[in-house]
Amino acid sequence: MKIVLCLPFRPYLAALLMALLVVLPAAGRTAGFEELVERLPHGSYADRAKVIDAISRTGDPRAAEVLNALLEGRLHARKDDGRIVILVDSAGGATAIDALSGENLGGVLAGSTEKIKTNNRLRGMLRTAIGALSLMSPDRETRLMAAQSVFASGDPANIEALDAALAAESDRQVATALAEARAVAILDTDAPVEEKRAAVAILRARGDAAAQAALAPHASDPAIGNEVREALSRIEQAQRVWAIAQNVWYGLSLGSVLMLAAIGLAITFGVMGVINMAHGELVMLGAYTTFAVQEAIRGAAPWLFDWSLLIAAPLAVLVAGSVGIAIERGIVRHLYGRPLETLLATWGVSLILQQAVRTIFGPNNREVGNPSWMSGAFEIGQMTVTWSRLWILIFALAVFFALLLVLRRSFFGLQMRAVTQNRPMAAEMGIDTGRIDALTFGLGAGIAGLAGVALSQIDNVSPNLGQSYIVDSFMVVVFGGAGNLWGAFAGAFGLGITNKLLEPWTGAVLGKILMLVFIILFIQKRPRGLFALRGRAAEA
Amino acid sequence: MARLIDRRMGVFLAGLFILTVALPMASSAAAGQLVPAYLVSLVGKYLCYALLAVALDLVWGFCGILSLGHGAFFALGGYAMGMYLMRQIGPRGVYGDPVLPDFMVFLNWQELPWFWLGFDRFWFAALMVMAAPGLLAFVFGWFAFRSRVSGVYLSIITQAMTYALMLAFFRNEMGFGGNNGLTDFKDILGLDLTAASTRTGLFVASAVALAGGLMIARWITASRLGRVLVAIRDAEERTRFLGYRVEHYKLFVFTVSAAMAGVAGALYVPQVGIINPGEFSPANSIEIVIWVALGGRGTLIGAALGAFLVTLAKTVLTGWLPELWLFALGGLFIMVTLWLPGGVLGAIETGLTRLRAFASMRTKEIET
Amino acid sequence: MKRRQFLKGSVAASAFLAAPALVRAQTAPIKVGILHSLSGTMAISETTLKDVMLMLIEQQNRAGGLLGRPLEAVVVDPASDWPLFAEKARELIEKDQVAAVFGCWTSVSRKSVLPVFKELNNLLFYPVQYEGEESERNVFYTGAAPNQQAIPAVDYLMSEDGGGVERWVLAGTDYVYPRTTNKILEAYLKSRGVAPEDIMINYTPFGHSDWQTIVSDIKAFGSAGKKTAVVSTINGDANVPFYKELANQGISAEDIPVVAFSVGEEELAGLDTAPLVGHLAAWNYFMSVDTPENADFIAKWHAFIGDESRVTNDPMEAHYIGFNMWVKAVEKAGTTDPDAVIDAIVGVSVPNLTGGFSTMMPNRHITKPVLVGEIQENGQFSVVWETPGLVVGDAWSDYLPDSAKLISDWRAPMSCGNFNVELGRCGGA
Repeated sequence: MKIVLCLPFRPYLAALLMALLVVLPAAGRTAGFEELVERLPHGSYADRAKVIDAISRTGDPRAAEVLNALLEGRLHARKDDGRIVILVDSAGGATAIDALSGENLGGVLAGSTEKIKTNNRLRGMLRTAIGALSLMSPDRETRLMAAQSVFASGDPANIEALDAALAAESDRQVATALAEARAVAILDTDAPVEEKRAAVAILRARGDAAAQAALAPHASDPAIGNEVREALSRIEQAQRVWAIAQNVWYGLSLGSVLMLAAIGLAITFGVMGVINMAHGELVMLGAYTTFAVQEAIRGAAPWLFDWSLLIAAPLAVLVAGSVGIAIERGIVRHLYGRPLETLLATWGVSLILQQAVRTIFGPNNREVGNPSWMSGAFEIGQMTVTWSRLWILIFALAVFFALLLVLRRSFFGLQMRAVTQNRPMAAEMGIDTGRIDALTFGLGAGIAGLAGVALSQIDNVSPNLGQSYIVDSFMVVVFGGAGNLWGAFAGAFGLGITNKLLEPWTGAVLGKILMLVFIILFIQKRPRGLFALRGRAAEA
Repeated sequence: MARLIDRRMGVFLAGLFILTVALPMASSAAAGQLVPAYLVSLVGKYLCYALLAVALDLVWGFCGILSLGHGAFFALGGYAMGMYLMRQIGPRGVYGDPVLPDFMVFLNWQELPWFWLGFDRFWFAALMVMAAPGLLAFVFGWFAFRSRVSGVYLSIITQAMTYALMLAFFRNEMGFGGNNGLTDFKDILGLDLTAASTRTGLFVASAVALAGGLMIARWITASRLGRVLVAIRDAEERTRFLGYRVEHYKLFVFTVSAAMAGVAGALYVPQVGIINPGEFSPANSIEIVIWVALGGRGTLIGAALGAFLVTLAKTVLTGWLPELWLFALGGLFIMVTLWLPGGVLGAIETGLTRLRAFASMRTKEIET
Repeated sequence: MKRRQFLKGSVAASAFLAAPALVRAQTAPIKVGILHSLSGTMAISETTLKDVMLMLIEQQNRAGGLLGRPLEAVVVDPASDWPLFAEKARELIEKDQVAAVFGCWTSVSRKSVLPVFKELNNLLFYPVQYEGEESERNVFYTGAAPNQQAIPAVDYLMSEDGGGVERWVLAGTDYVYPRTTNKILEAYLKSRGVAPEDIMINYTPFGHSDWQTIVSDIKAFGSAGKKTAVVSTINGDANVPFYKELANQGISAEDIPVVAFSVGEEELAGLDTAPLVGHLAAWNYFMSVDTPENADFIAKWHAFIGDESRVTNDPMEAHYIGFNMWVKAVEKAGTTDPDAVIDAIVGVSVPNLTGGFSTMMPNRHITKPVLVGEIQENGQFSVVWETPGLVVGDAWSDYLPDSAKLISDWRAPMSCGNFNVELGRCGGA
């Protein structure tokens, strides 16, 4: 029934075989470095793989640089004369450097050279080859990377190079990495049992999944099987403990996102009693502000990019806050005493804001980049912590405590508490309640904008951004107990951690359903949330 | 009986009756299709929404329970009907399996899950249309009202309920067709769903259900029970101190309302041709609240009117201003809350009263 | 512009005086329905398709219209609301009397409008890759069926060039397309000798945004020593946070490549692709494909939309193919009457944008090349593999037991979409 016009594979395999026939003898002749490099642009990926392998074996001092350029996509062939060049970024565009002679050929026009293509497999090969070639590099980071890529390849052919590098190495971390790489390689040779046992011990000390993977094939080895099995079970035990820690960290991170999204709502909804359905859209405005700031920076001052979030944050507060104040003055103000109708009006506002953003920025996702200090991850033991999540957690906590300080210690906070607790009395005391209402709503909205800045780092920046957080935000505020900032804090982190501890057991979908059921049941037990207000205010 | 139908209700029911008779006639071939045939199903759909709005107004307008999860009851009723319609397909599915619906066949299910049993009979499905949402509301309400969960807390946990159900129904393993839901229906009670006569039948049934729902709601709210409900809405603690078992009253009206929403869903599904988990989405439930608020909370007729108006606006605007309709709809919501505090119905009545006052003034002037 | 309209109008007016009825039939515009969500969750993907349809219609009108009549686009907004799709489809066909409809993205929206198209006998061109298991008389599937996307992609990854993958993570959003595709892939992988413990299947809810746990699970699964790849059927919206998490946790394409079926140029436009270089996608078209047809299409698109930074993607090409097929079929039939066009369109062949021709097959699916591309730093894909010829879309998968028995051929005498070869008759009635 499947009418395949052409079988995808057979002709392809044939081509591959042919390529092998062509390349193998050539490589066998131990072609020179120059000849090999010149052959790079031609043939299939499989051909290129052979050539790369041959280049790395030439031992030519230029090999590392050429291969590195190939890996980074900077190795091009000139369209006119086929010369292989390395492109280097310079002030007025790219400059070409002859890959063989190192001669500077001056600037190149876009489109006058063709990139030598690589694919995943080739890049993997390149990394290993470069690794083996750069074990002795003067740069510590390069050596570390090299050791790691040699570790990943586990190729016994590298043992000699590793030995040499180990002897010369003075940095402890790099030396450990080298020793580990050597250990993996040793296991695959017929080295004496003693040496293999030492290798097992080294890997056991490393104790991560990669060590596990390296050890696993040797579990039934007659000579060292016992040691390997014991090491494996030790690693597994440790991993289980680390997994719990990892999940708690994920929970904290999810909690911080929930808290950021919900904390503005804890003010508008919790403190003022306004059901603000446009809260999600205020978050979205914050994210779009970040986008706009980054766009401006990309155009005008690329060197400022790492600062983009710090610039965007106050602007987001300003944008979302002033929209919030406008909503309060224009609409919500007329509805105090009719809290449920704020739902209808703010729902209308949310539709308008969504469509407005769609009209201005288009319906597609917008790219918000991570500044360099928010990219990547670091390891604590066997636990991976991504920088973006860590910064968001720190940011969330900072926002929370700053807010707490404003409410508890500032004059504005005092006035705000007075108005929410007893409006007529506050008015009697000479507080301009209207102004305080507007500012409170603006504060809640501004914080929603701040949340948007943080969320733009980990989520879509699209007109739908707000919608995806609004339901969760309400859950957090209600779970924690409306009207109490600490409630939102405990609610967010409680739900975050519970969710993440459940997820490995139940999967993401069921985990989320269970969370919701849990909230429903929890509210039965504490009908006014975790941190219920006591006394008369609770009935109001 | 006379007390049940006041003037407002009388006018509304008369209007509904005229619509029910006139629309199918006008769209029939005999009348030369004065209005396009698709209007029958379209208005039938509006009528289902109106019934749903009445159901919500019964709990929100008269008992103060702001349910943000009424879409769930509507959808459950719809699924019960959808399951009946799926079973009616029988061996006419694409894979020709005599029992299993198509989506089960291609996901390699071997037999019908237990909860699908019985849905091949109309009476059973009709019972489940009310029983499934009713039971959910009963259990949910029993817990919630007994624990005295109220106000926004109640609203948000009803939202959690519908959200959880949405996620659950999205799961293919649940056996309800996952995201695609139930579709490709062929006939109901042996009648071809695409036939004009069946459409008219469903349309009339929806109108009757709406009238019935209005009467039941009216009967409940006008009775002694109804006055207790209003008392609960306005001062729950005080009513409790007077010796009323507040939770029983709430539970009763919540369950009735859920069953009513279920009926609305059941009539909606064959006219729309699909039921899927999207109906459970929290946004849909919020929209129901908006219909009621826009029409006029606590008036029943206003709720029906609100549902009718908003969905009509959506139909017209999405075709007429596809890129701008959200601005128009959002603006409408804001304006209604700001300037028509009693909703559309309230505005109409104020207008009428003023007109009458003006007219009587004029008559007086003429008389003098 | 104004003058041209006036001229057209005055010509029409004078003709109108001469022979009213005849001329009206000959010059009244042919209406084309566009049924794509412009608001709600799917607007993010579908709005572009509305724009591309408007562009195609404008071009056709500039080239003299169709059958001597201008085309007129009727745009409605079904607002990502599935029952509203059915309502709007009915409105387009009954009220606006459109000759054909181009629209829908999600499967559920297609399922929702399907009964309407059957009942009112009109044409729907559906431009998105989907799970298959459907072949209806009134629907033309110009997107990829699973055998035009998923299976070739897996084949590539299994090959030496693709890295010789032995261990598979099938990660998807929990709905019908990923479920079905993964069922097909699971059966296919097992038939190619992959052990069950080397397949991990994971589902997440719609719009899932916290990928920490799943990405670290993938990392753990991938560190077992065998080459591992992720086959992602994660739905549009959830992809951005997924890729951001992948990048942040440092999973590079060389360690664990991710091949996606729902991630194209448009989705990447919302991402910093530098850390994602090398992750893959399988489609039937990439913007980077170097053919004159494609260059022309991109230039026209940029001119139409007025923004040089806008990308093109696979569903846009599908509409391009579908629209041209419809135009050709209408010309062949000499009328826009749905029955005549439906009969005429089978076998119609039009150029696609990747340098070949796509043909409408009797099973309502089209022939397409399958391309596998790697993500580049500039947000484009570089093609690393393609099928040597065209692949015919297969409505019924061979890897699902009940569906393997079905064949589809809408030509007489069979004229049905689900002929059961075991029972010797068509399913459904």
